[in-house]
Amino acid sequence: MSPSVLVPSNRSSQNSMSNVIIDPEVLSQEITLSSDLDLRYFISKPLKDVKQTLVFHVEENVSLNLLMVDFAYMNCNLDVKVDLKRGAKATLSLASLNSHEYEKIFNLDVTHQEVDSFSRVKMSGINAGKGVLKFLGNSTIVNGAHRSDTRQEGRITNLHPEAKSTASPALLIKENDVVASHGAALGAYNPDQIYYLMSRGLSMQQAKKLITFGTLLPIIEQLSDEDLINKAKTVLEDLSI
Amino acid sequence: MENLTIENISCEAEGTPILKDCSLNVNKGDCIALLGPNGHGKSTLLNILMGNSRYTVTSGKATLDGEDLLSMPVDERSKKGLFMAFQNPPDVPGVVTMDFFRGMINARLEKPVSLLKFYKETTAAYEKVDLDSDMASRHLNEGYSGGEKKRNEILQMLLVKPKLALLDEIDSGLDVDALKVIADVINEMKENGTTFIIVSHYDRLYDLVNVNKTAIIVNGKVALEGDASLAKRISKEGYSFLEKEYDIKLEKNEKKANDVSIGSCAVKQVIAK
Repeated sequence: MSPSVLVPSNRSSQNSMSNVIIDPEVLSQEITLSSDLDLRYFISKPLKDVKQTLVFHVEENVSLNLLMVDFAYMNCNLDVKVDLKRGAKATLSLASLNSHEYEKIFNLDVTHQEVDSFSRVKMSGINAGKGVLKFLGNSTIVNGAHRSDTRQEGRITNLHPEAKSTASPALLIKENDVVASHGAALGAYNPDQIYYLMSRGLSMQQAKKLITFGTLLPIIEQLSDEDLINKAKTVLEDLSI
Repeated sequence: MENLTIENISCEAEGTPILKDCSLNVNKGDCIALLGPNGHGKSTLLNILMGNSRYTVTSGKATLDGEDLLSMPVDERSKKGLFMAFQNPPDVPGVVTMDFFRGMINARLEKPVSLLKFYKETTAAYEKVDLDSDMASRHLNEGYSGGEKKRNEILQMLLVKPKLALLDEIDSGLDVDALKVIADVINEMKENGTTFIIVSHYDRLYDLVNVNKTAIIVNGKVALEGDASLAKRISKEGYSFLEKEYDIKLEKNEKKANDVSIGSCAVKQVIAK
């Protein structure tokens, strides 16, 4: 496999990319979207141990759907910055697994520059080793971007007692008449969920496995490439829980 | 199940005593109304029986057909035939209900259930509780309404066919039709040999399922037992007669102040101009 940080999984997205070309070999790219874009990536092998930055300028009434599944066995440092014009929409989803002692940092920022813009950022992760997993991101609504709607969400389940995880979804709201929310969940398994599943006859391990799968699968299953989905499921199956 | 014996159980949660020498005997075929004022230990007793680790049993024992129940892990209790319908079932985001149901059924079988049988059983159960079977593809309890959660609990009870079902306020927040649906399922399962302990504050469910015993938990113990008429009397008069007629004084539940305060962040308030 060529050393690429991003392996596109949805062939159909190539059609919707029109004049947009994302080169995985390039560390920093800036793209202006004038038509809808649906990108789904399986991050299998990072290029270098340096930060990669993707910047999207989303024009009026244009949608960006960016989905990333990271199962790389190496360090990862990815910065995605999106700014939205009037009526523009961005959905950013990330599923990340850190199964060793790597340092993985994801920063997904969205700036609502104009009115009626919409964004959803959802980062879900499992930190299965002693490594670092950081989910950072700001949703900014600037002055004048009335009726914008944003949500930043980060959730990490630690499977190892020495896992070093951070989930910090932030909001910077400078306008009224907006909808904004953020949520973060970090830590080991929720004992109420474990108790509930076990009360139906599932063993502790089966309950933990269901929850672990559930953290990432809803995002993984959007890859629209059966081979990649199965590959990701196999990695999860082999996790020591 | 022939018999469940609860003997002098005392328990605490985070250092606060809840049950104090609580005893109750349950026989096969019983349908027991478990009543009591808020915070006196009804839900705690059910959770102790199911094995919730939030509670620590400090003394006493519970035996199911002579076997020590309290030493069993939660999943083993379930496989022995215990089932608890939760008052507030937790959301389990990401876990598809269908996958969970399959795991739940397979946990009781030596060989995994066939797809056809699984489909037939779940479809029939969804029909019985009057829920759309499309809900099986949704995440477990996530985004369910209060009524849907309650029906989903009863649906699970239908699928696992327990010997002893513990229902914790399964009727709270239900409309009349939904209550009737749930009562019908309980009656059907009673006929098939399931024993019930039902916690509720109202007699309308007790009326529909014809309870044969009433047990009242006050101050962390079963203070009074009787037949179905006792549940009706409480529904009509409340608990005040306990002190006048039985010298049972209700202790007040005063919560201790927490050692820490919790703050939360908030988004900027939306103010319509």
